[in-house]
This record gives sequence, C-alpha cells and structure tokens, in this order.
Amino acid sequence: MDVVTQFAAAEGAAGGDIFTTLGINWQLLIFQIIAFLILVWALGKFVYPWLMKSVDERQAKIEESVKAAEEAEKKAESAQEDIAELLKEARVEAKDIVTTAKNEAVAMVADAEEKAKKRAEKIVADAHEQLEKDVIAARKTLHNDTIALVALATEKVVGKTVSESIDKKIIAAAVQERA
Amino acid sequence: MAGARLSRRKIAAYFADELIAGRSVVKPLAAYLVETKRTREATLVLRDIETALADRGILLADVSTSRALAADTEKMITDYLKNTTGATDVHIRPHVDPYLLGGVRIDTPNERLDTTLRHRLNQLTASKI
Repeated sequence: MDVVTQFAAAEGAAGGDIFTTLGINWQLLIFQIIAFLILVWALGKFVYPWLMKSVDERQAKIEESVKAAEEAEKKAESAQEDIAELLKEARVEAKDIVTTAKNEAVAMVADAEEKAKKRAEKIVADAHEQLEKDVIAARKTLHNDTIALVALATEKVVGKTVSESIDKKIIAAAVQERA
Repeated sequence: MAGARLSRRKIAAYFADELIAGRSVVKPLAAYLVETKRTREATLVLRDIETALADRGILLADVSTSRALAADTEKMITDYLKNTTGATDVHIRPHVDPYLLGGVRIDTPNERLDTTLRHRLNQLTASKI
C-alpha cells in the first residue's frame, strides 16, 4: 500500500492526471458507462421481461406437468385400487354366477328327471291301460267266437242227433216246465 | 153292415159270435171287406177274430215243431193250453219246420211260447258282447 501511494504521489508530483497515469480515458469511460446503462436499461425493458416471462411460462408448464403427473399418478393409484375393487367384485359376481348356474343346472336336472319319471310312469300306465283294453277286446272276441262256434256245432250235432223220442221229451219238458 | 165304418174289434166280435153259432163266416167276411174296401185289413181282422174267440174260450194255436206232431204230444199241448189260458176249446194248427231243430213253438193270439232249440241257439248267439 505504501508503494502504490508513493507511486501515485510520484506521478502527481510529476504533473499528470491519475486517469492518465492509469491509462484510463475518462471520456471513453463515461461513454462506456452510459452505453452500459443504456444496455442494462434496454435489457431490463425488452429482453428480461420476455425472458422472464418465458422462464415463468416454462416453469408454470413444468409445474403443471409435475402436477399433472402427480395427479396422473394419483389417478393411476386410484385406478389400480378401482381395478382391484372391480376385480374383487367381478370375482364375487362370477362366483355368484357360477353358484347360481350350478344351482339352476341342478334344478334343471332335477326337473328333467321328474318330468322323465312322470312321462315314464304315464307311458307305463298307458301301456297297462292299453293292455287291459286289448285283453278285454280279446276276451270279447274269444267269447263271441266261442259262442258262434258252440252255436254252429250245436246246430250241426243237434240236427243229426235229435230223434223223434228226444224231441218229444224236449217238448214235454218244456210244457211241464211252463204248466 | 154296410153303413158307418165299424172298428175291427166290433167286426171281429161279430164274426166270432157267428162262428160260435156255427155259421160260416168266410164269404160274408170277404164280401164285407170287399164292399167296405178294407181288404188290406183282412189279416188284422182274422187275428182280431182269433183274439175274440180266445176271449170266448175258443183258442186257436199255431204249433210249430221240427217234426210232425204225434197224437200224444198234441194232446199234451192241448191240455197245457187249456190249463194255462182257461180255454174250453183248443184248436191246434200244426206247422212243421225242420229249421227249428227240436222243441215246440206255440203261438196264441195273446202270447208266444218258444222252446225250440233254434230259439235257444238264437238266444245264445244274441248273447254276444
């Protein structure tokens, strides 16, 4: 520090300006300061707002994206839970459906068996009834055929075997029976 | 007799009385039926006359057998008819019909007695179900 002061005192003593001693052109310096201020003003006026605006928008978009991502993540988590719930409900519903289907199938099988049993019983009953009818018809036919045969045979036999004495006995018996 | 239309019953009663009185009725009856244009009723009138005679104790019976009636059989039938109908006089008109096979069929104005074998066979045949 003493050296600098001595150097400055020496130069001042020599009759020169400090700016000149330091090699600085103060006019140029002022000009540069003004130009710098103008530049700062211009940047603050036109570039920084636009730049800040872009940065803010970008930040807002990023924040929005982050928020959307968080929401999406939340939604995804919620969707996962919903899916799990739906799957659970679907499993329960499927189980119910299967149980109901099994019950209905069992009921249908039982109903079909009942119907088949009734149908079989009806067929057997009808067969019995038809058989009885056939037996009755056969008996009638046999009865009638027997009567016709007996009548025919009797006519043939009696026509040849009834003699006058037998005929008289028949007449006498008939008359005595009625008398 | 040629006046108002008489009933068959009255005609039969009249001619029955004529017969009982011993008068012939064939020609008068035929003449009456021709005159009154009632010849179609001849069979019915004869049947009514037989009925009127039966009511008066004279019985006409058609007796049908498969063989000719023997005398004792005819007498037995006559006695039977007298006993059952109360007739005092029985006249038998015998008919032989081999189709009857055996037995006797007696037709009187009021009833029929059929004990022929043919009748019994017919009854048997009629018993078909």
